[in-house]
Amino acid sequence: MTVLKTSMRNFFSHKGRMALSAVAVVLSVAFVCGTLVFSDTMTTTFDRLFKATASDVRVSPEAADNDDGDWGRKPQPTLPAADLARVEKVDGVKAADGEVANDAITVADADNDNLGSSTGAPTIGTNWDPLELESVEITSGHEPRGPTEVVIDADAADKHDVRIGDKIRTIADPGSFSSEVVGIATFKITNPGATIVYFDTATAQEKLLGKPDVYSSINLTAAPGVSHEALKANVQKAAADFGGDPLKVQTKDEVVEENKDDLGSFMDVMKYAMLGFAGIAVLVGIFLIVNTFSMLVAQRTRELGLLRAIGSSRRQVNRSVLVEALLLGVIGSVLGVGAGIGIAVGLMKLMGAVGMELNTADLTVNAATPVVGIVLGVVVTVLAAWLPARRAGKVSPMAALREAGTPGDRKAGVVRTVLGLLLTVAGGGLLFLTTRVDEASDGAMYLAGGVLLSLLGFIVFAPVLAGLLVRALAAGVLRVFGPVGRMAERNALRNPRRTGATASALMIGLALVACLSVVGSSMVASATEELDKSVGADFIIQSDMGMPIVPEVAEVLDDAPHMAHVTHYKALGADVTLPDGKTEKDYSLTAANKTYAQDLRSETVQGKLTDAYKKNSMSVGEDFAKDHGLKIGDTLAVDFEDGGRAELTLRAITSSETTLDSGAAYLSLATAKDYIEPGDMPHNEIMFGKAKEGQEEAAYASLKKAMDPYPQYEVRDQTDFKQTLKDQVGQMLNLVNGLLALAIIVAVLGVVNTLALSVIERTREIGLVRAIGLSRRQLRRMIRLESVVIALFGALLGLGLGLAWGTAAQQLLALEGLKVLDIPWPTIGVVFAGSAVVGLFAALVPAFRAGRMNVLNAIATE
Amino acid sequence: MTTAVAARTAVAARARQVTKAYGSGETRVLALDNVDVDIARGQFTAIMGPSGSGKSTLMHCLAGLDTVTAGRIWIDETEITGLKDKKLTQLRRDRVGFIFQAFNLLPTLNALENITLPMDIAGRRPDREWLDRVVGTVGLADRLKHRPSQLSGGQQQRVAVARALASRPEIIFGDEPTGNLDSRAGAEVLGFLRRSVDELGQTIVMVTHDPVAAGYADRVLYLADGRIVDEMWNPTSEQVLDRMKSFDARGRVA
Repeated sequence: MTVLKTSMRNFFSHKGRMALSAVAVVLSVAFVCGTLVFSDTMTTTFDRLFKATASDVRVSPEAADNDDGDWGRKPQPTLPAADLARVEKVDGVKAADGEVANDAITVADADNDNLGSSTGAPTIGTNWDPLELESVEITSGHEPRGPTEVVIDADAADKHDVRIGDKIRTIADPGSFSSEVVGIATFKITNPGATIVYFDTATAQEKLLGKPDVYSSINLTAAPGVSHEALKANVQKAAADFGGDPLKVQTKDEVVEENKDDLGSFMDVMKYAMLGFAGIAVLVGIFLIVNTFSMLVAQRTRELGLLRAIGSSRRQVNRSVLVEALLLGVIGSVLGVGAGIGIAVGLMKLMGAVGMELNTADLTVNAATPVVGIVLGVVVTVLAAWLPARRAGKVSPMAALREAGTPGDRKAGVVRTVLGLLLTVAGGGLLFLTTRVDEASDGAMYLAGGVLLSLLGFIVFAPVLAGLLVRALAAGVLRVFGPVGRMAERNALRNPRRTGATASALMIGLALVACLSVVGSSMVASATEELDKSVGADFIIQSDMGMPIVPEVAEVLDDAPHMAHVTHYKALGADVTLPDGKTEKDYSLTAANKTYAQDLRSETVQGKLTDAYKKNSMSVGEDFAKDHGLKIGDTLAVDFEDGGRAELTLRAITSSETTLDSGAAYLSLATAKDYIEPGDMPHNEIMFGKAKEGQEEAAYASLKKAMDPYPQYEVRDQTDFKQTLKDQVGQMLNLVNGLLALAIIVAVLGVVNTLALSVIERTREIGLVRAIGLSRRQLRRMIRLESVVIALFGALLGLGLGLAWGTAAQQLLALEGLKVLDIPWPTIGVVFAGSAVVGLFAALVPAFRAGRMNVLNAIATE
Repeated sequence: MTTAVAARTAVAARARQVTKAYGSGETRVLALDNVDVDIARGQFTAIMGPSGSGKSTLMHCLAGLDTVTAGRIWIDETEITGLKDKKLTQLRRDRVGFIFQAFNLLPTLNALENITLPMDIAGRRPDREWLDRVVGTVGLADRLKHRPSQLSGGQQQRVAVARALASRPEIIFGDEPTGNLDSRAGAEVLGFLRRSVDELGQTIVMVTHDPVAAGYADRVLYLADGRIVDEMWNPTSEQVLDRMKSFDARGRVA
């Protein structure tokens, strides 16, 4: 009981000193909880959407499995209208409505601007049927009637300023067509971002599916008293007698589940990535908490000695510190859970700004969220306080009588040095091995181990390195500031463990930033080099959303002027039976015009690439050939999905050391056409073009102009393409750095924390130097310089580690075509200089407070 | 040296009608009550008095460490009451030396660095010859590279004395400079202070409650209840002790 009482008193009397540790706990817990709440809210939103848009029972063609690999590549499977009439008569059906939907369309306004979402949400064209009323209502105008009318959803209309009476153009598989907006449909639930256009049924059938009297699926409403399952069973029984293509019958729950599964993997990736970054912040926060408790214990040495002298046991002293940590953990975590909900709302607003609509009405806080948050916060805090608490328990009763704080533990220094060196050397060794392996899969293990061990090594070793590196940094940076710089240097060096831990926290975030920027810029450099070396095409036409090229656009491109050639590029699925008797199921083949051999000059290890485009010929990648012992002249039996069976001769084997089309198996489009009916042929994934000699500019201009009405496609020449690549990598790095910012913020708080507590600890020294004539300005500068040198030390460790990691990763990825190592020195330089600024910033408040200290109080402090 | 002293006033520091009050209304406490005092140049002045008499407050005010409630203070011809922090800091740095009871030195700096710190802060080069003389006088020549933690308490105070002397301040203030030392080490430090007055012409003001320490001074000022109640010239420790006993007796009667 007394232990608890002293702990409580200590905690509240030192609450100022705990404040920043509490902030670190709050931030870490908040980010974790925010992520959970945000992803749960997304789940709720989609759940509600899927529930509102699913009928009691859905009947769809069996072939329409929700495999995204086939998205928009070929005309989607349909049901004949006769099926609707037949299903309608099944027992238990109250109503049956034919559904027409195509989610591989693009809608553009009169200015040819894409009305679709920019976040990857689909644009869906559908028929106006009774089920729609479950999720939307027409808030102005009227429903679509007749071939020229369309209704658009209110969110898309708002975002793109579409009004009733406007003309919009729909680009679908069968062709593009214009319609007049006659109504606006507003969602009654949250629509996270899909753009939806509604036509009357006949128009939708003809223009979206390309055939009259067919449906994508049939929505059934159960008669009163008939369960979804019973209805499903009835329909399945009846469907057995329909003949025709097999049908898939699903209850509402099954449809919702299927939709969620499709989305689930994407949401999981996002959730776990964010939790990963939260984890890094938690790790960084641990350093802050360890430092805080170490300093509190050091400052209270005499008090703890007194407690021991009057009879407290080691365990009691130890426990009193842990109880304080527990209090900190509980308070921080509870606040963190609250802040987490705030973060989730903030994230939702942020998503809203980039085009993904989420509604706070759907905010979902599962019971697990606060539990996870509080357990995490408390466990981490108490664990972090473990070592300082143990040290507190070791304080001898004699300490009460001694003047100064605890003497340094020399032996721990030796153990630390040896352990740190061992870990660092082991980590470095693994990183080096990473660069020497032949198989990427082996190297990944080495890389992971090397990263982990070198990180641990640096963390353990940082206090030892502090002596060396801080002195070096001071020689370069602080000496110019004379005695103030010297005092700052000595202050940074006086407790290497503290300086080391503070810098380590910063190191973690910066190491990741450096590593990723090395990998990112190596990616750009490698791809650019490869583009220069092997891409012969002048122009590349593709959709950034991964949408295949509809036939209408392929024709427009074929007819473009000034072109030497235009290449079609299709992905074909096939079961390939090899000479060794094995069959590769669903193997992906690339069918292209033979001009593709000029567009992408893939290197071969055997045979000539152009031969692969001869009749009944093909090529495979080096790895595939090795795995199956293939050689030039072998015959492969290729059973095309949606097509016939072909016997193709292997004419070339392409090198695997490339980032472009690595491992692709090529055959000519002409060969493919012999075995696949025109109606079953998938659309082009991407197209390439080469201008006639000397007409490059005219060709580029005419292609751009030709593609103007099709905003979903981009025409790029090589310069554009490289820039796009650079932009994409840059965006990805920005996103990751944005998430790492949290860890860096916590680390900066750690610097603030260390300085603030040091200032309190050095109250008397500050009073002394002020008394003998150090001006306020000089005092503040001294603290700022100490902060800068700690931050630079952390940056040096982090950048060094990050460069090593990045280089090892690049060397490993060189096996996958990432051949060029490009260290972005300007970025590294900016990060280093930025750290100095961060150091200055971190010192603002501690320096201000030190400057305000009353000289007399300072020297009077006992 | 005589000419230099003659050119300036004979008074190193002056206080006129200095009052220092803490709190207000009912709880108002007067630490200094209309104190007038002149500190003579080139002399060793001791300020004595019982706990709570205001002796430390008087020293802090004279040294520009503390502000006064009323009254004016000069160091040499400079009035320090009303000076801004920046000017006060400069004054302390360039014209005043300090020796505190404990915690005089920065633990991160060695003895020599501690001694030259005020000049380093000011960006002045220490006068090599003078520095050697000061260091020699306090007998620290072989300890200059030691950190404070490697020095005994007496040695630490001698470093503090050397620091106070090194920048040749107009006046040195000592706040119980021997309070933490045993009698032998204390005698050593006091001996240096005495010699710096006699040989170097230094002005020193020292707060103490130790009659032995006061015995080294040229003049002793007695404070009680924030007022100067007595003074004594060229005292011996016995005389100081007797005088204090008589104050105690009077205090008891009162």
